[in-house]
Amino acid sequence: MLESRWSKLAGLLLLLVILFLVPVIVGGRPYVLHVGVMVLLNIIMVSSLRTIFLSGQISVAHAAFVGCGAYFAGVLAKQFALAPWITIPAGAIMAMVLGVLLGIPFTRVRAIYFAMVSLFGGIFLVDLIRVARTWTGGGTGLSKIPPLAQSFVGQKVPYYYCTLALTIVCLIILWRIEHSRVGMNWKAIAQSHLVASSVGINEAFYRVLALAVGCFFAGLAGAWYAHFNMTLSPDSYGFLPSIFLVMYMLVGGQKSFAGPIIGAGLLYSIPEIFRRLGTAAPLVLGVVMLIVVYLMPEGLAGLYDQLKGQLLKSREERVTKSAAED
Amino acid sequence: MSGSLLAQSAVNALVLSSLYILMALGFALLLSIMGVVNFAHAVIYMVGGYVCYELIVTAGLNNWVALAITALGLGLFGLFLERFGFRPFFGNTNRIIVLTLAVIVILESLVNVLVGSEVRAIPSFWSGSFQIKGVWIAHERIIAFVAAAVLLIAVFTFIRRSRTGQQMLATSQDFVGATLQGINIYRITAIAAFIACALAAVAGGLMGSLMFLNPFAGDQMLVRAIQVVILAGIGSIGGVLVGGLILGVLNAFLPLWLEGSAVDAVGVAVIIVIMLFRPQGLFGHEA
Amino acid sequence: MLLKTRGLSKVFGGLRAVADLDIQVADGQIVGLIGPNGAGKSTVFNLITGVLRPTAGQIIFDGADITNKKAHVTAKLGIGRTFQSAYLFPDFTVLENLVAASFLHPKCNFWEATLRTPGYRRKEAAKLEQAKEILEFVGLEPMQDELAKNLAHGYQKVLGVARALAVKPKLLLLDEPVAGMTAEEIAFSLDVFKKIREQGVAILLIEHNLEFMTLCDRVFVLNFGHKIAEGTPQEVRKDADVCEAFFGTEDD
Repeated sequence: MLESRWSKLAGLLLLLVILFLVPVIVGGRPYVLHVGVMVLLNIIMVSSLRTIFLSGQISVAHAAFVGCGAYFAGVLAKQFALAPWITIPAGAIMAMVLGVLLGIPFTRVRAIYFAMVSLFGGIFLVDLIRVARTWTGGGTGLSKIPPLAQSFVGQKVPYYYCTLALTIVCLIILWRIEHSRVGMNWKAIAQSHLVASSVGINEAFYRVLALAVGCFFAGLAGAWYAHFNMTLSPDSYGFLPSIFLVMYMLVGGQKSFAGPIIGAGLLYSIPEIFRRLGTAAPLVLGVVMLIVVYLMPEGLAGLYDQLKGQLLKSREERVTKSAAED
Repeated sequence: MSGSLLAQSAVNALVLSSLYILMALGFALLLSIMGVVNFAHAVIYMVGGYVCYELIVTAGLNNWVALAITALGLGLFGLFLERFGFRPFFGNTNRIIVLTLAVIVILESLVNVLVGSEVRAIPSFWSGSFQIKGVWIAHERIIAFVAAAVLLIAVFTFIRRSRTGQQMLATSQDFVGATLQGINIYRITAIAAFIACALAAVAGGLMGSLMFLNPFAGDQMLVRAIQVVILAGIGSIGGVLVGGLILGVLNAFLPLWLEGSAVDAVGVAVIIVIMLFRPQGLFGHEA
Repeated sequence: MLLKTRGLSKVFGGLRAVADLDIQVADGQIVGLIGPNGAGKSTVFNLITGVLRPTAGQIIFDGADITNKKAHVTAKLGIGRTFQSAYLFPDFTVLENLVAASFLHPKCNFWEATLRTPGYRRKEAAKLEQAKEILEFVGLEPMQDELAKNLAHGYQKVLGVARALAVKPKLLLLDEPVAGMTAEEIAFSLDVFKKIREQGVAILLIEHNLEFMTLCDRVFVLNFGHKIAEGTPQEVRKDADVCEAFFGTEDD
């Protein structure tokens, strides 16, 4: 038990060192670092989506909340010339408020019905972004958003390190919430809302809380992205992008905290790694998804346990077989 | 607002409604019978448009023959999807979601690779237009509507009148009960998947003659199909007709007053409000 | 009286599932609610605990009106319950099931929990302690690290009762607590129920099994949502209506 904990810690440390050295390893190639930043931001988005799923709520609107954070921060920075240290928290809080406002009326809706409502909620938010053209630039998008800092312009390395720090902080917070009483209540509600409320857990409150936490971090990642990419397009936050976030999580493994990290890390990178294939690059992604669906019921993060289980099982079978032969 | 514009919109409403219903009916069948949220449904629609195009333009077939072959071909793909995709993962929502998304990714990029971003449109089924009381109506719109309506009547008759159709309804009401009554579930789910994909393909072929084809055209149609099914209520096949009509009317008339994205926003807001008061949809049963 | 309902009624789409029901549970009593399938017993539980809202009538618990209170509020006020099926958190271990259920005692708020203040840690430690005590009390402590879904059916039901106890209830509602159990498991649970009563917790239980009713101080008999008899188990058994409801249809 203790041993596995130490080996886990060592693995984590090794991963951190590698992540820290990435700019050195790739020799500061801007394209790779750009993808690196995007992977990190996607990890925040998918991990925060998993927070919502923990409470048993299937949300297919997460990209829309990312978009709300991004656009709110972008508009504040561009039209009102506010500094990023104001716009980024403001974007996150805006996404959270919207999540709570949309979540409260639908606490009595569950399972597939909730998924459908969230789907339309997400589409509605993106439509609003398109309609508010005077602020957001409508369908053509919002450009010339100020960068995180003037000195960062044209550079990727500082962005990479800042995003890495942000991601680590977000993940630590999400980890702690999940492994606290709050996380336990979420998981309890997800397993049975009836039993959960019979022991005094306020289902509606904790579900809205999960939305608040999840949407906050989605908005945070979005707002950060606004200052990183400096242009935004509503197409990045529609229905399919939301579905893709769900897919990253499911392929990575919903049950494990590492699932979203592995899923977002791998699946976001695949089309970029195979960029040379041009329009065929997503095909590789599709094939990976099929492999995971057919061979790994608990996703990539569940692979280790799955293999261990199979190994134990085959060993047991061998033992019983030899015992039977004796 | 001129009368002719309103009349045009009325024709549009009929065409859109019938195509939405074609799409939503298949989606609703799979959802209510197998509990499958088939996100890949609209990709079948998009592929249907392209297959139909290739059969007409490249292979030089007659439009109607091409449409029939497309429906059959994609119906068979539906059988394949049901047998090797939905059936093994029956009841496992997460894996079915990933599977359908994989199908979306693969088919969309395949079409993108094979066809690219060239603009294509299916040649008209019946070109020209005619005039009633000063209102010009394109023949192809009438054709699309009539074809969709005939197909819908056929499918509804099949569901209501035939033994298999009745078994499909029974299964969609109560899966376990249907199993206990000795209904061959897998025959039912296979037929449902075939019908669903064939209808989506026909919708794609018909829509392809009204609009340009686009590898990513399915995304919006998927949202429409889900909108209709939610309006109708999960489990209500008949409600799909009303849901499709409501959505068709909204999408045909609202553009007279609102810009594109505002139309979508209103359509979606209507759904959200309905779900607030009737989470089970207009015709669904109380959960 | 610990619990009193007055004219409690619930109508589902024109059908009266519970009609004008008056029942009482006194402190420290074990009270039975019996009746054939579909008599509305589980509905009564759902009304008392606030899962469903009554169409008419009043529910008084511990001197306070709880008629339209929600389920998590009635739990807070001291009503613990079990369910006929889906009675636990299947993916939690046995111990986690109880820790999750000890949400209310001792209390802590959201900020304490996310910031993990020393007070929060102390309270969580107390909850763990309490959970272990309850497991010991019901005799499930040897299985505390098993996943709940891997337990034998009977033990799952006992765990459901233990979970309800973690709310520190004054009144425990048990929905068919021994249905589907083996004779051995039934004996095991009977001991548990008697021990619970010794702790001063009142029990209202639903049962089909008339034999099991001997445990009760008082019995209410329901048929088609109506109360058709009440009294001690011996009195009720002699009642003609009850025999009709229970045995009248036995020929088929």
